[in-house]
Amino acid sequence: MSEQWFERDPQWFKRAVFYEIHLRGFFDGNDDGSGDFRGLIDKLDYLQWLGVDCVWLLPMYQSPLRDGGYDIADFFTTHPDYGTVDDFKEFVEQAHQRGIRVIADLVMNHTSSEHPWFQESRADPTGPKGDWYVWSDTDELYRDARIIFIDSEPSNWTFDPLRGQYYWHRFFHHQPDLNFENPEVQEAMLNVLRFWLDLGIDGLRLDAVPYLYEEDGTNCENLPRTHEYLKRVRAEIDARYPDRVLLAEANMWPEDVVSYFGDGDGDECHMAFHFPVMPRMFMALRREEAAPMYEILDRTPAIPRNAQWGLFLRNHDELTLEMVTDDERDYMYAEYAKDPRMKINLGIRRRLAPLLEGGRDEIELMHAILFSLPGSPVLYYGDEIGMGDNVYLGDRDGVRTPMQWTGDRNAGFSRADWAQLYLQPLMDPVYGYQSVNVEAQLRTPTSLLRWMHRFIALRKEHPVFGLGTYEPLRPENPRVFAHVRRWEEDVVLCVHNLARSAQAVELDLSAYEGMVPEEMLGRTRFPAIGELPYLLTFAPRGFFWFQLRKEQ
Amino acid sequence: MDEQALIEYVTRQRWYGAKSRTVMHARVLDSVVLRTAEPQFALALVELGYETGAHEIYQLFYALRDGELEPDGLDEPQLARELVSAMRSGLTLQAIEGIVEFRPVEGFAGLGRELHEARPVGVEQSNTSIVFDDELILKAFRRLEAGINPELEILRFLTEHGFSNIAPLGGWYQYSGGPLGATLGVLQEFVRGGVDGWELALEEIGSAPDAFLGRLRRLGAVTGTMHATLASDETDPAFAPETSSVEALGLLTATVDEEIERMFVDLPEDDERLAPILGRGEDVREQLRLLTHLGSAGKSIRTHGDYHLGQTLWAAGDWVILDFEGEPARSLTERRRRRSPLRDVAGMLRSFAYAAIAAGLRGTGVPDGWEERAREQFLAGYFETVDPSLLPSGQAAIERLLAVYELEKAVYELRYELDHRPDWVGIPVAGILRLIDETAATR
Repeated sequence: MSEQWFERDPQWFKRAVFYEIHLRGFFDGNDDGSGDFRGLIDKLDYLQWLGVDCVWLLPMYQSPLRDGGYDIADFFTTHPDYGTVDDFKEFVEQAHQRGIRVIADLVMNHTSSEHPWFQESRADPTGPKGDWYVWSDTDELYRDARIIFIDSEPSNWTFDPLRGQYYWHRFFHHQPDLNFENPEVQEAMLNVLRFWLDLGIDGLRLDAVPYLYEEDGTNCENLPRTHEYLKRVRAEIDARYPDRVLLAEANMWPEDVVSYFGDGDGDECHMAFHFPVMPRMFMALRREEAAPMYEILDRTPAIPRNAQWGLFLRNHDELTLEMVTDDERDYMYAEYAKDPRMKINLGIRRRLAPLLEGGRDEIELMHAILFSLPGSPVLYYGDEIGMGDNVYLGDRDGVRTPMQWTGDRNAGFSRADWAQLYLQPLMDPVYGYQSVNVEAQLRTPTSLLRWMHRFIALRKEHPVFGLGTYEPLRPENPRVFAHVRRWEEDVVLCVHNLARSAQAVELDLSAYEGMVPEEMLGRTRFPAIGELPYLLTFAPRGFFWFQLRKEQ
Repeated sequence: MDEQALIEYVTRQRWYGAKSRTVMHARVLDSVVLRTAEPQFALALVELGYETGAHEIYQLFYALRDGELEPDGLDEPQLARELVSAMRSGLTLQAIEGIVEFRPVEGFAGLGRELHEARPVGVEQSNTSIVFDDELILKAFRRLEAGINPELEILRFLTEHGFSNIAPLGGWYQYSGGPLGATLGVLQEFVRGGVDGWELALEEIGSAPDAFLGRLRRLGAVTGTMHATLASDETDPAFAPETSSVEALGLLTATVDEEIERMFVDLPEDDERLAPILGRGEDVREQLRLLTHLGSAGKSIRTHGDYHLGQTLWAAGDWVILDFEGEPARSLTERRRRRSPLRDVAGMLRSFAYAAIAAGLRGTGVPDGWEERAREQFLAGYFETVDPSLLPSGQAAIERLLAVYELEKAVYELRYELDHRPDWVGIPVAGILRLIDETAATR
């Protein structure tokens, strides 16, 4: 009998709280020093308790791991460190039994240079795979395409001595781009999608999606044929896989990203990340002013009815500063990356808690702002307990250290030898596992983890946060970010003090005259809204969420 | 039959669960004819779609009379008998999208006889039950969820593993196909002359308190055996006991702690009956923290899931345990989760508190200390038969974990009574108070 079944709900992703997991770092189920599917199954009770609706897994495919698994060497098997495809299937079923959905990363744009397709392509230019990658006799084509990994790659072309030609790669030179002009490549990637969807997965995050096609004289991003292909993928999902989602990774301005939702009610991706809102949250906090928030949200166009933004504070990559001006970037570096080691590419490789200097009020305020915005929040593993980072580790490993479960050996992450761990857990006196761990925070009612749990539950009680309008209030006090969310009868007022000092604010709530604000965490009723501006006072970095109730 | 009429019919039924939702559409997902002779009967799976895009699936029956197709209740004896006879013959019926399988339990004598009278019984929220000639009882599940229903799963397991304090399982029927795979109904022996455990308690607390305490000792022993049996098969993946995870206690503590916190935030301040606990939220949370300083939570096993006196029958000198469906408000997968057996025990202990008060409300004189003695007797019987390896190690740890589950239950009761039966608020208040003071005494 089929045990894996959800109440059908095509809009689940619009109300969901997502949780991003670095599989290697979550929990080691077989004592070999590396996290795996068995380990993840063991921790599902924790994720269920936390209130997570959907787990997002970083790539788990066969890979030489030169780019954290985004260099895929076989789309149809899992990396042996993580377990088998059967283990993965078991994980998905166990997650579903707890009401948790699962989405996973998929890279369509490129493969690892170790992928047999590429090896065949370079060895046999006239063979069946000869045309599966983007080859050229010169490195002259597509000059207008920018280089993304500017710290490590001098060009988007690399010469292959075996084939005697250059191959195209938008990312690392060991990640050759697939040639989507070739119908066989198009069909091969659809087969990959079908394979994982047939295993029961609830969706895929499409990595590096703007770069599928190239065309001379363009910047080779967001080309019409890329959208055509995505429409084809979406049609396949709609026809055969109800309730599954496609999530686009397109690090661009929101007015450009909306093209990935497609036309009409949405005929490409269901979700896309809203990248630029994230650095502006950090800017607003540092500058103690709400302007960057209002500006970026004003700049965010309406999206199709069946689409949703994905919002996050931090993720497995650097805090990306591609979508800010040069001045703003300098400001962010100066404020959040004082040590040059903290910078990588165009971003800052640090976790949330150290970015906010461990400030509990700041961490809560940033989550409140994140959860109040129109979109679905994506949490990054470990941030719910305020884990730290290690900027002395290479690449982005500093934000990918083992999850800190207990104060015991190896942070309770693994029973392997210390030296065998894929990375050693943090041991510093502030963020180390003896002070920051799940076990201790579960038992401490005032801990960050317990606060996060209550806060996630609060957000989920109110569909308005996923489905409602966004109506900025723009009070005179520039340090206060205030807005209203509305959906059916549910009206919620969210007011956040970005300043380090206490603040007062007068809000024009005349549209809600006669209603009574009820603070949502403590359920305290505030004075009814009258004709005069509504006065609120805030502690430093304080916030209030109110439900506006009709007076009985 | 047209869609509007279908929606009206389903939403009128007692077993229809989503009363507050707006139905956007209804359609028949699959159907199969049960009886071809006049009057014809058919079974249908009907999907109701709500405005959020969510759906629910219900089991419905139709009758064709005089050329008119209309939905029908199971109280039509001919229809109900048809289901039993399909089980007797082990029929597999081909529906349009899937199949409906009727299966008898081998060696079940009750299926052999001819059935006459069929009467609907009970008022259940999510299913319909029919009794045949006081011999058999058929329970049809109305709102369907994918997966095996724990009622069938546990009855079958207990039968196969020799636990006899249940009403024997006679057969079942289930659907598998495109829309979902689900248990549709179970047939059991009807326990003749059984007295509901709750009613028996109210009667005997005043009239024969000592005799009833003896019966509770037996109930404890039966419960212990039930748990030992449920944990007895390592080879069955759905039943094999699990060692609680490292976080299990932490997660339980955090969950209960937050329930207590929310409860106290919501307590009305002007209710006299609440006075003994008003403002004591922090005391309760403090007790909880003391209680959860345990080494481990013991093992997690399949349990009854909704255990109280009302789920038992006293018949022919022994207890019969009923209704393994779990709490209907929870999802099916949630109900099938493994938990500490002490959760069942806590549920039963709380129902002794209710019985004592309810008996008093009926004007029965309740002997002093009856609840305490009832608890002692039940637990004494329980510890005689339960497999100790399922429980935390040491009597002190067992008592603490039990107290945590009782506290969780009492907090849930308090919220329920405040919303539904304000006159009963005193019972959970006394329960919470007892837990604060008792732990204070053992500090």
